[in-house]
Amino acid sequence: MPPLLIDILFAAAAIGVLVLSLAVVLVKNPVRATLLLIASFLPVALLYIMMQAPFVGILQILVYGGAIMMLFTFVIMMINPAPKGGEIPGEAAKPFGPVRMIPWLLLLIAAGFTIILPVYRAAKTLAPVAVSKPGFGSLASLADLLFKDPMNNPFTVSFELISFLILVGIIAALNFSRRRGATGKSDAVV
Amino acid sequence: MPLFNLANCLALALLLLLIGAFGVFRRRSLILILLSVEVMLNGVNLALVAFNYFRWGDSESGHYLYMLSIGVAGVEAAVGLSMVLVLFRNYRDITRERISHLGETEEA
Repeated sequence: MPPLLIDILFAAAAIGVLVLSLAVVLVKNPVRATLLLIASFLPVALLYIMMQAPFVGILQILVYGGAIMMLFTFVIMMINPAPKGGEIPGEAAKPFGPVRMIPWLLLLIAAGFTIILPVYRAAKTLAPVAVSKPGFGSLASLADLLFKDPMNNPFTVSFELISFLILVGIIAALNFSRRRGATGKSDAVV
Repeated sequence: MPLFNLANCLALALLLLLIGAFGVFRRRSLILILLSVEVMLNGVNLALVAFNYFRWGDSESGHYLYMLSIGVAGVEAAVGLSMVLVLFRNYRDITRERISHLGETEEA
């Protein structure tokens, strides 16, 4: 691909991500915010594909956009926090007004000049390390990384440990959602 | 100097993180706070994959870290949302002000 086209694609994807993420933070309707977040994953997936991570891009859309965000949509539709006009009551009142934001903005500007700008300049001078492996970032290559020689591979163990984390999450979620009186005792203490 | 480089990718990740943090401070509904946390996580994942592509050569550790990160994000969403559901069942209200009292009434 010609470098100009790559730059144009990167700029378009970056602007798309930023605009959609700002919209996620600013819109009032929660269902719209969730759908906008799913939409903001599409340019991110494009960026991943540009960075030779096609499998990660697919994961971003299938797992992140398809599974995790659907969980959010389910919960929003289940508890239906929008009784009138699609707005959460009181959402319009800003708890974080412009006056209280000033010290944080100052802190951010100070951090920008002391830390972020030097890091940005340093990162700009770093030469990219070329990728030479065939099939870099593909499913087969990642499977090799994770499961090749499983007895001595640290990635295998830590990857399998994620399943324990998910198991703990399932148990916690089930415990939270037990109804009061279903077991005879009062539970779901928050 | 091409536009598509590590510095610009990291700047994009930082901006996503800041947008998410702004949302966490601004939103009042707990679900939308969790949604802003997802925006922040998105920025972090972008930084991981960008480092992998621009600096780590043939290693794919960044992709692996990304997979770990979405595993954690999924568990966080499941546990967080079930907590939101319990709070909604008990209080019929999931705004930040109500939850910060944790069972005490406004007068207390």
